[in-house]
Amino acid sequence: MKKSVLSLALAMALGLSLTACSSGTATQPSDSQESTAPQTQQSAAPAGNDAAESDLQYVKDKGTLVVGITNFEPMDYQDENGEWIGFDADMAKEFAESLGVNVEFSEINWDYKVMELEAKNIDCVWNGMTINDEVKAAMSVSDPYCLNAQVLVVPADKAGDFEDLTSLEGLNVAVESGSAGEDAAAALGATTVPVQKQSDTLMEVTSGTSDAAVIDLLMAGAMIGEGTNYADLTFTMNLNEAQGLDSEEYGVGFRQGSDLTEAFNDFLAEKVADGTVLEVATTYGLQDAVILE
Amino acid sequence: MIEFFTSETFSTVVSALNSGFIKTLQLFFITLIGALPLGLVISFGSMSRMPPIRWLTRAVVWIIRGTPLVLQIIALYYVPGIQKWFNWPSGETGRMLAVCVAFIFNYACYFSEIYRGGIQGVPRGQQEAGLVLGMTRGQIFRHVTLLQMIKRIVPPISNEVITLVKDTSLARVVALQEVIWMGESFMKGNQGIAGLVWPLFFTAIYYLVFSGIVTVLLGKLEKKLAFF
Repeated sequence: MKKSVLSLALAMALGLSLTACSSGTATQPSDSQESTAPQTQQSAAPAGNDAAESDLQYVKDKGTLVVGITNFEPMDYQDENGEWIGFDADMAKEFAESLGVNVEFSEINWDYKVMELEAKNIDCVWNGMTINDEVKAAMSVSDPYCLNAQVLVVPADKAGDFEDLTSLEGLNVAVESGSAGEDAAAALGATTVPVQKQSDTLMEVTSGTSDAAVIDLLMAGAMIGEGTNYADLTFTMNLNEAQGLDSEEYGVGFRQGSDLTEAFNDFLAEKVADGTVLEVATTYGLQDAVILE
Repeated sequence: MIEFFTSETFSTVVSALNSGFIKTLQLFFITLIGALPLGLVISFGSMSRMPPIRWLTRAVVWIIRGTPLVLQIIALYYVPGIQKWFNWPSGETGRMLAVCVAFIFNYACYFSEIYRGGIQGVPRGQQEAGLVLGMTRGQIFRHVTLLQMIKRIVPPISNEVITLVKDTSLARVVALQEVIWMGESFMKGNQGIAGLVWPLFFTAIYYLVFSGIVTVLLGKLEKKLAFF
């Protein structure tokens, strides 16, 4: 009898958690669909619409700003002691200090950055994030703070074949799945080979399984060429120019409707004005890329 | 060759992989400690004499076994926060906690079916004999069925345990920094080392050695139980 009571209790617990789970997963996509539309419009004027639950206040009460990052040199990476450094990491520390809270870096799976934000596992995405329509639809994005472009990475000994190229038709081009590089490569007619990370694209080119790769200029500068593990690779074409587009801009992503965005923009303007931004950027070799207006 | 094994790069990579493998081991042992008993409870549910409990438990087992573990991990880690039910603790602790819950529940459902097979595989005549001798159902389970069940289930449980060793790698979907995550990190760049592919494949050695040890231990257990 004891056993059946126990199993009854357990079965009910199972049943409850099950219905909770299934309804959660079922409603979540449609939910976010509905909320995307109004909130995109709101994000133009983030102030005041969420007066009841200020994100800024939430972070201040919590006492910690959790920054979602990936290990991405020169934006966010670890020194020998495991301390997070880099242009973004150093600025994030400054930002947290200006809010009077601690900073905590949490490595995330980049594909799930929006869910990480919405689930409040992190408070911002601050990792050299290219501002595009997709990002703007799902997050409240700050003013741009850094410039970037997508470049074509090719084997150094074949670089000549890729010069003066205006289209990528007929080429197998490795790209990070869901990245700005993927869009750029596809727009120029390449057959894209989506892989998980930007670094994986370099492996594709080295091993010859793809003809070329498209990655960020900042990353290409840091990862390929002489003195790196990819000395036999080089980058040629600027895909933004090839498409007649402006360079990309990096921004920090916050939760939709968050007043943290405004706080960040004020912080950024102040730090640009007093020269901190340039100083930190110079430390990491980004003095030409940061936006100082 | 020897230079490679004594190089600074090698020691940096190995110490990063070691720290990742500790996470893998934590996940492995916590899952076993949670799932082995929970599986038995679920198996009682799926053999219950009350049809609603039986159906409900079996439906849950069907859903958990019938959907990918990786999806369950994602749902468990993100949905509570998005739905504003509760937030997991921030950082690595919360990720580990959510992943452990997902693994325990998933593996308990697999174990429950193995237990059920083991219990129902004991000839019914033995239970009837127990009843004739005036034993209660609980006594019959503890003194007659249990040990025979354990003997029967060791091989299939071993199979699941070996699978679990490797399934722990799914946890990196929510950025739990287990050994494969660490191996991959050197492709993109970690501690100043970028573009290294071998650390990823090197993780295979960790899995092989560990599953080897597990296989030997479970083999010994099987032998010990071979006395009847």
